[in-house]
Amino acid sequence: MNHIAIKMLMGDRGKYLGIVMGLTFASLIMTQQPAIFLGLMSRSYSFISDVGLPDIWVMDEKVQFVDDIKPLQDTELYRVRGVSGVEWAMPMYKGLLKARLADGTFQTCNVVGLDDATLIGGPPVMLEGRLEDLRRSDGVIVDIDGARDKLGKPSPMSGGKPIALKVGDSLELNDRRAIVVGIAKVTRTFQSQPVVYTTYSRAKNYAPKERKLLSFVLVKAKPGQDLAELTRRIRATTGLAAYTREEFMSLTYEYFMRNTGIPINFGISVLLGFIVGAAIAGQTFYNFTLENLRQFGVLKAMGTSNWTLLRMILLQAVLVGTIGYGLGVGLTALFGYSMRHTILAFKFPWQLLLFSGAGVSLICVFAALISILKVIRLEPAIVFKG
Amino acid sequence: MQVKYTLPILAAAGFLFAAYTVINSNKPIPVAPVVAPPASAPFTSFIAGSGIVEAKSQNIAIGTPLSGIVKTVAIKVGDKVKVGAPLFYLDDRDTRAELAVKRADLAKARAGVNEAKASVRDTQSLSALAEAITDRRAISSEELLRRRNALLINTTKLGSAEALVQQAEAALTTTQTTLARLVVQAPINGEVLQVNIRPGEFAQAGALNTPLLVLGNMEQLHVRVDIDENDAWRFDQNSKAVAFLRGNPNFKTDLIPAYVEPYVVPKKSLTGDSSEQVDTRVLQALYSFDRNQLPVYVGQQLDVFIEARDYSGDGRPPL
Repeated sequence: MNHIAIKMLMGDRGKYLGIVMGLTFASLIMTQQPAIFLGLMSRSYSFISDVGLPDIWVMDEKVQFVDDIKPLQDTELYRVRGVSGVEWAMPMYKGLLKARLADGTFQTCNVVGLDDATLIGGPPVMLEGRLEDLRRSDGVIVDIDGARDKLGKPSPMSGGKPIALKVGDSLELNDRRAIVVGIAKVTRTFQSQPVVYTTYSRAKNYAPKERKLLSFVLVKAKPGQDLAELTRRIRATTGLAAYTREEFMSLTYEYFMRNTGIPINFGISVLLGFIVGAAIAGQTFYNFTLENLRQFGVLKAMGTSNWTLLRMILLQAVLVGTIGYGLGVGLTALFGYSMRHTILAFKFPWQLLLFSGAGVSLICVFAALISILKVIRLEPAIVFKG
Repeated sequence: MQVKYTLPILAAAGFLFAAYTVINSNKPIPVAPVVAPPASAPFTSFIAGSGIVEAKSQNIAIGTPLSGIVKTVAIKVGDKVKVGAPLFYLDDRDTRAELAVKRADLAKARAGVNEAKASVRDTQSLSALAEAITDRRAISSEELLRRRNALLINTTKLGSAEALVQQAEAALTTTQTTLARLVVQAPINGEVLQVNIRPGEFAQAGALNTPLLVLGNMEQLHVRVDIDENDAWRFDQNSKAVAFLRGNPNFKTDLIPAYVEPYVVPKKSLTGDSSEQVDTRVLQALYSFDRNQLPVYVGQQLDVFIEARDYSGDGRPPL
């Protein structure tokens, strides 16, 4: 019987391809759009996920997300250090500063100041130079994307690609000299600004004169210390907000979810993909069943049970569903792979495979259901009517 | 037949590729290594503060009593000096010229005394001659009176000339003192930490932002620890304290309490702005330590942890 079902399905090549195409399309949209959405959203907290060492981030209690800097007094660092259960606490400066480029244009940069002695919170991957080189006078480390593109020197030919910033080149940050001593690889951030790493005290020199300049205190808990308990203690002792790394990520993530149109836009895309996929696949599948109604009638007249027919239709649905799904996620992966060196945000976690699989299954079940109803209600006599 | 197998194979390949992408693209981000391991408190409940190393004598910013051009600087940075050793000389040509004048004045005054003495002797002999005459008729009483008075006047003049000598001597001493003040001397036994003047520069008297010289007794160093006023109530002078060197926490030393400055001072926020605002105020505690355990320089910053009682938990005030 299964053999007949498959033959029936693949007999009409046009319809078969039509169903598979519809499902492929639906699966592609339901995977690729969420992947871009997740990629964008993960960029909102990529700065936090890049800083792997500290467990807890301490900041002003009114901070809403990672780029919402409300600086603290420098002495707060020592108050946090004095909380029991804290292994160490380090200062971090994060702010947007204007860099003046060789051709006179200005570029806003994300300047990150690391603790002078330990340089905790540095970039995860160094491509050129070493993190220690920050100790050299006026030294800064620039991220590779910024160095190639936004901070690059203008091309000698008009319209050409800019010349990438190299180790040894100089920049001007707020009228002060900065020398590139290293190139790092960082995860792109939401605004995709160039990231400039330097030491905390130098960052304070680059920053405009302000009374408070301490953006974050990075805390490592003592081994065996319960993080939730420690954050509670830091809050109680210092009156500042303390979040674990994951809490701070979700705080940032939720801010973007609530305050930007991104989730709605992508949600609509995914829904449209689902509806269009369901409509095309369902309609074609239904049409295909209608065309094969005669064959089903013959089978029914020959005494095939409803249960067997149902299994046949389900098999057909599962087959086209699986093929469409496989093609769809494969195309998505191909899309992501071909775009891996571009500015496009793309993140493909395993949950997304389940999500689109569930979506395609739903479409298949829907398509199969209406066909099954038709076949079960079928009178075997119809074969002889025409 | 082709379509029958092509599509499922393609689909399987697509799914495998997607699975590969999922596994490959979601590797955890590598953690940036620590350049120097951070110092960690060896106590369960503690106060953290930043300390700055200073000489036990504190760092003495040497001033000059008189303004003037520096003639010579007698010491170099790092020189060990004894009390009273000259540090630098100011231009003294003016004062030396004045000294010569004062000396001449003194000589003149002394000559005046000799002159007065001669006059006294002259009038004295004349008066003695007159007094020796026994017959009063041989000399008029007017003459006698004149001779006596002349003696009295000249004696007084001698006193006056002697006073002039004293005056000239005092004036000479004043100039000599001024000359001495043009040589700035070391107030303590110590080491020269910083020299900010060079011959030919103008040394200004008074409190300066950049001291002319910094002097300190380096035999015993102190750490000046800033404790946030919000933590000051937890501070106990006699509890244990440890200092770590920045950049290499393997260098650490136990601190011995020296004294606490009972006046809470504004912490300098060092923004470089012309009008500094007070961030917070800090209590400053001073500790001494064994110099051999810690290769530090004066002015270097240390991470300091001071043990404190754990007050968390019970909501009651600690006292």
